[in-house]
Amino acid sequence: MIQFESVSLGYGDKVVVSDINIAVPEGKTMVILGDSGSGKSTLLKGVLGILHPMSGRITVDGDSVGDLDEKDILLYRQRIGMVFQEGALFDSLTVGENVGFWLWEHTDWPDDRIEERVRTLLRFVKLEDVIDKRPEALSGGMKRRVAIARAMAPQDPKVMLYDEPTTGLDPFTSRSICDLIRQVQAEFRVMSLVVTHDLHDAFRVGDLFSFIHDSKVILTGDRKTIEESKDPFIRTFLST
Amino acid sequence: MKLFLEKMADIVETVGDFALMVFKGFRYMLTHFRTGDTLIQMDRIGVGSIPIVFLASIFAGLDMALQFEVVMAPYGARALLGKVVTTSIIRDMGPVLASLVMLARVTAGISSELGMMNATQQIDALRVMGVDPLDRLVAPRIFAGIVMMPILSISGDFLALLAGMGISTAIGHVPAPLFWSGVRDALTAQNLTNAFLKPVFFGFILTSIGCFYGIRSSGGAYGVGRSVTKAVVAAAIWILVANFLLSKLLINIWGLS
Repeated sequence: MIQFESVSLGYGDKVVVSDINIAVPEGKTMVILGDSGSGKSTLLKGVLGILHPMSGRITVDGDSVGDLDEKDILLYRQRIGMVFQEGALFDSLTVGENVGFWLWEHTDWPDDRIEERVRTLLRFVKLEDVIDKRPEALSGGMKRRVAIARAMAPQDPKVMLYDEPTTGLDPFTSRSICDLIRQVQAEFRVMSLVVTHDLHDAFRVGDLFSFIHDSKVILTGDRKTIEESKDPFIRTFLST
Repeated sequence: MKLFLEKMADIVETVGDFALMVFKGFRYMLTHFRTGDTLIQMDRIGVGSIPIVFLASIFAGLDMALQFEVVMAPYGARALLGKVVTTSIIRDMGPVLASLVMLARVTAGISSELGMMNATQQIDALRVMGVDPLDRLVAPRIFAGIVMMPILSISGDFLALLAGMGISTAIGHVPAPLFWSGVRDALTAQNLTNAFLKPVFFGFILTSIGCFYGIRSSGGAYGVGRSVTKAVVAAAIWILVANFLLSKLLINIWGLS
């Protein structure tokens, strides 16, 4: 379970989100919704241990992220797959090298075994034919697919984090990325946290939803709870 | 007063961050040496800089021999051209010139590359995948700078001396054996220590400052540009400061010879 217990996060003295209390159960996908700059991505940085809570506690599978030392945090992050907004693929490496990066870094597998795993992952995201291309040769949607394959490279990622996975994509490509996120969820039973401001995409991928507004969580629940909410911010969000 | 204190606190924090980056970088070199990444950086930083450093060295050698010939000829001291040119080049001119030429290529290149990696979240991606950017990005670059800079500088010195000999022979009518005899006289332990030690420090300055500003870059394309400017200016100043301090140190150690 991913659990935020009265968590406040920020940069320097500036608090971005405060008093966050949410929990993502095993095998479920929670979507964090909110307007731009509301601190949605900051929550992901908290889960990754890039930002330490100013107060409160973030626990993932029982590990209190803020209490992990430098060595343990590197090990902890190996259990997490992260898909960045634009993919964040390493542009000096080929697609295959990007996907196999984690395996080369953290396993002593022989090259042919790593290549097999890379091909399996690229087949899963339907991009095996671009294995030798560089990221600059890929479209936005293809980059996100490769990023998802790279995030799944560890044999058993327990957690998948997606930061605005469909931003800047056309509706057709967005839909295919959402389907892929659902497919990852269904096949690997990971806990997922998806940050987005797109309600349609949110409903396509999420089991649970949490709205952030004015640096606080104003509502958490399933789709029905969200749709029945009388909160003016959520009503406005739903109507746009 | 408050502004002054804040500025001082910023400087102390920056120096502390730099020292920590360098400490961790050296620790990774000793405990987790990345042969493949280091060889790639040695190729990019060293081999890639050969044309520009050699070209600059040749013209520096030509110019120094020409200038010294003009100054020394009226005193009938052309026979000393080899010694004077060699001393100037290997003690100061060679290492400083090679470093300043490489500054534009290496420091600017490293800071812009790492800055863009930061802006496109590639450095965050490294962290997330359990890899310390100081291990993967910084340590190989600093090591490559420390190893390749002396090789480039000393090779450049040799080419500068060849060019100097050409001018001395063609214009000053100094026989080549006499020029080389002067070169041999100038290859003292003190001069050779200068020739080897200074580029080691300069290689460290070029790469570490490039890495430091690149990895701290923020604010997209504008931020990357600002980081590159800061890195180049800081590295240029520190090369000149380090050159003076090393000259003074070596003179104190070896004496005025």
